Amino acid sequence: MTQYIVRRTIQAVPVLFLISVVSFVLMLQAPGGPAAQFNQNPHISTAQINKWLQDWCLVRQPTLADTIREYLGWLGVWNCSGGSFLSAHGLPNFLPPFLGGGTNGVVHGDFGYSIETGRPVLSMILERLPATIILMGTAFLLWATIAILAGVIAAVKRYSFFDQSVTFVSYVFYSLPTFWLGLILIFIFGVTLRWFPVQGIVNVRQAAAPFGTPAYWAAFAANPLPNIWDIAAHLVLPVATLIAVSIAGDSRFVRSAMLDSLHQDYVRTARAKGIPERQVILRHAFRNALLPILTNLALEIAFLFSGAIVTETVFSWPGMGRLYYEGVNARDYFLLMGILLIGSVLVVFMNLVADIAYAIADPRIRYN
Amino acid sequence: MPHLPQTPGEPPPPDVLLDVRDLRTYFHVMDGTVPAVDGVSFQVRRGETLGVVGESGCGKSVTALTIMRLIETPPGEIVSGEIWFDGRDVLQLSQDEMLQVRGAEMAMIFQEPMTSLNPVLTVGDQIVEAVVAHKKLSRKAAWDRAIEMLRLVGIPEAPRRARQYPHEMSGGMRQRVMIALALSCDPKLLIADEPTTALDVTIQAQILELIRRVQAETGTALLLITHDLGVVAETVQRVVVMYAGKVVETGSVQEVLQDPKHPYTEGLLASIPSKGMRGTRLNVIKGSVPNPFRMPVGCRFHPRCPYAFDPCPDHEPPLDELGRPERRVACWLHTTPPFGLEHRPRYGTATPLPVARAAAAEQVP
Repeated sequence: MTQYIVRRTIQAVPVLFLISVVSFVLMLQAPGGPAAQFNQNPHISTAQINKWLQDWCLVRQPTLADTIREYLGWLGVWNCSGGSFLSAHGLPNFLPPFLGGGTNGVVHGDFGYSIETGRPVLSMILERLPATIILMGTAFLLWATIAILAGVIAAVKRYSFFDQSVTFVSYVFYSLPTFWLGLILIFIFGVTLRWFPVQGIVNVRQAAAPFGTPAYWAAFAANPLPNIWDIAAHLVLPVATLIAVSIAGDSRFVRSAMLDSLHQDYVRTARAKGIPERQVILRHAFRNALLPILTNLALEIAFLFSGAIVTETVFSWPGMGRLYYEGVNARDYFLLMGILLIGSVLVVFMNLVADIAYAIADPRIRYN
Repeated sequence: MPHLPQTPGEPPPPDVLLDVRDLRTYFHVMDGTVPAVDGVSFQVRRGETLGVVGESGCGKSVTALTIMRLIETPPGEIVSGEIWFDGRDVLQLSQDEMLQVRGAEMAMIFQEPMTSLNPVLTVGDQIVEAVVAHKKLSRKAAWDRAIEMLRLVGIPEAPRRARQYPHEMSGGMRQRVMIALALSCDPKLLIADEPTTALDVTIQAQILELIRRVQAETGTALLLITHDLGVVAETVQRVVVMYAGKVVETGSVQEVLQDPKHPYTEGLLASIPSKGMRGTRLNVIKGSVPNPFRMPVGCRFHPRCPYAFDPCPDHEPPLDELGRPERRVACWLHTTPPFGLEHRPRYGTATPLPVARAAAAEQVP
């Protein structure tokens, strides 16, 4: 088992490398550029710009070699200030600083500085991470639970009223675009009925400090319950928006996986043993249906990430998704590349977790 | 076997373990109704071995699943009949009462050992599950019982094997596990539905030998369903031949295999290849299994029968005795046809059966 986990982790490294290439090339191909953005900022001097460009191996009108150097500098393999693969200590630049490596690039945790705010990209992302994790964690748990419950019950009571209702509701929600659903929910439950707050993660009139700041967390620790309630109330609409479409699709998937499983020979064997139907369904049918369901859930985590960009923007949720949207508007390249990379790492990590869960659930793939 | 039909609603004598009476199981599907089992009757005595033979789709497996009450409803429906098992009619039992019978008093071995075991549970756990459900045993005692059963069916290193998953075992091993599972709660009746069909020939012989041995050791009755007459000849005492959802012939294994009375049984036996036939064409029964949505009227075999004559297309032959209650055949060649019709070949030109010849000779003044 340990060997399996280690092997899967090592396999993730080339994936992450490819993702870093893709996110860099995407930003390279986007119109405009950092210099163009700087030109609109009257507070930055030409000398400052040139220094900054040099720190990141950036040149005006780059050749292909310059571009590759830019990428390697961003990655941290190339030492921009020294102009070589070696660090100031004469050792390979990608090594960690305490082993004599350099300090620039994402491998050293240096994602660069935001062009818009001038702050380090990493600290901006980390500041927004808790809000996104709260949103996506809640969404994922509810989504998996509801989809599995609805799908399993629909399959066991096939063609019943419940099954037909799930089918009908699924098709309705599956056809709705996320941003539109969000706006409609805001209109109905926020504006008209006034049941739930419509934007943000906390009530800014009552919170001690803005969400995510140390002062906020201090107030949160001192009196957690009302703060949790506050966040929960703010979660309802964005979570509903985020998971409605996914639940619709996945309950169908769970239903068909479960139906498939219920018609297998081993389920008939289980029935022939004379064990209660509940045990037949849970221990035999569902236990096997779980395998494709796990794979599907893992694949849809990426979908959740992209959905979070729209949902966080619609609900002004102070998370990574909205940060990304703001970064796109500001042409904030380092910020965008940083979010893409960290988001990808999270998705790859979640897939790794799903793979391991799969290996635990299915004895047949453990020793391959 | 006592006379058929018996008084409806009355239990059979105590030496009869299983008494299936006029059983009908239909499947209601989109294109119509399939009478998969249509008026089947037979009996199994305690400790006895009965073979049920017939082509694919003749209703053998559906009969077995109906006895176990494992027919999915819908689309299946047990339309009528009685299944007396150990003094009670299992068709009258509730699903909860049936849980006490299924797996405990009657158990089943399925055709496909590769897919009949749950791939995500160890084989030991799958046996323990059945033992715990029916015997008042702790998990530890149930585990010991599972290992004891695996030993009984000849699995070497049983304690280690019990912790393995089905995919770590060969097909023959898995079928041994299925047999161990079925016998783990000491059932009075073991139903084996084509237990050797999916296995290769050398393993088939081992599994049949195993079934014979454990049956002798445990004294359980065996209902062996197969399309393989070789298996029947080696294993069973009595045979029921089924065709298109009906019983066409019954008798002891010697009677049925050496002196078949029904043209269908005769055809089945003639289509077994043998050594002396090298270079000649294999005998086959002409035509194919009838369309289940449009079963032939009268005798269901008459469109394929070389001896079919006047009453066959219009009148269904009863399963009548031939001398003694256990030897029966449903064929107008052996029963006085209704309405004074004569034994006169109408469709076929093949040489009639000896019995038909004798009957024809009697007609000649």
